[in-house]
Amino acid sequence: MLTILALASVILLGIVPQQSEAIVIYTGWERHALVGSDIRLSCSFFSWRWTSDDVTFSWSYRADGARDSISVFHYTGGSPYVDNKGPFRDRLEFVGNPGRRDGSILLKNLDYGDNGTFTCDAKNPPDIVGRASSVRLLVFEKVPIQAGVITGAIIGAVLGLLVLVVVIYYLMRFLVARRVFNLSVSKHGKKGKGKEGSQQRQLWRPPPVTCLPLTS
Amino acid sequence: MLVLLAGIFLLHLTSIILLLVATIDNAWWMTKTVSTDVWARWILTNGTWSSNDLPGQYPQEYLQAVQASSILACIFSSLGLFVFVGQLFTLSKGQRFTFSGIFQLLACLCIMIAASIYTDIFHKNESDGWYGHSFILAWISFAFTFISSIIYFVLRKKTAN
Repeated sequence: MLTILALASVILLGIVPQQSEAIVIYTGWERHALVGSDIRLSCSFFSWRWTSDDVTFSWSYRADGARDSISVFHYTGGSPYVDNKGPFRDRLEFVGNPGRRDGSILLKNLDYGDNGTFTCDAKNPPDIVGRASSVRLLVFEKVPIQAGVITGAIIGAVLGLLVLVVVIYYLMRFLVARRVFNLSVSKHGKKGKGKEGSQQRQLWRPPPVTCLPLTS
Repeated sequence: MLVLLAGIFLLHLTSIILLLVATIDNAWWMTKTVSTDVWARWILTNGTWSSNDLPGQYPQEYLQAVQASSILACIFSSLGLFVFVGQLFTLSKGQRFTFSGIFQLLACLCIMIAASIYTDIFHKNESDGWYGHSFILAWISFAFTFISSIIYFVLRKKTAN
């Protein structure tokens, strides 16, 4: 019984590390951007091993409709190498932090031709078995304001403000009236005059203006 | 006294109706074949009117601001009417209808904002066309709500409940 348990645990310990050595890479799923703007494509990974000095990041790009993908970025041996011949020359910048497992790149001045799939592949030796992760880039001319968003926001804000003001007003009236009532009760309660206490309670009705003659 | 109250009530009701027409009817700017704003554009083709979307060149923020403030004017004015009727029964003798006046004043402010934004931003360079009845009613209801709110602030309740 004990031997079986020991054998099972050894086998498990033998199997699990190999699976846990797979590196898991995270990028977004889909990114939207405006023509002419910049976008940061993030890539990070999870690995059971400490971040090694030989960690590598590799970005490749496959245009919409194209069959092949080209490599546009590579980080290795502590230095980033950006695209200097392909479609992203002078537009790609490395903004990641390999020490913190971040291999993000910045794409500047986007154009419609940049629509496509970007794939990030990271390796953390000896942890090299893993699946590359892809993010789709969609470039728009104009992100339209949805009809009615601003309208609803303005209406909601103003009505909310109104409700807030009314609530605060009645709350103040209630609190002040209660405080005056308590004060008057404590003041006159000692003298035993409960009648005046109830009279004080009506203090907060604004007194009717009787000085002007009322003509109909 | 009752006649006065009825008159004030009718004035308030009229301003609500004018505000509703100005907000709902798409006739802030008209030409011979087009009646437009603030929600849709009616175009006359071959003798029939058809409803189209507003052109995308319209500055969206200003358009939605006009929509929002005209709706708010309607809401405030309607609430003011209920508040007025409520205050008729709950105010003590000699008090003023301040809350109703405040609501009407807010409605006045909102429709003024809507009409001003519309006047200043839209259709400034178009010469073939004229301001439609919704636009005119918006400014008229501005005047009515203003008068109405002044009356509410000045009027005092004369008879007891």
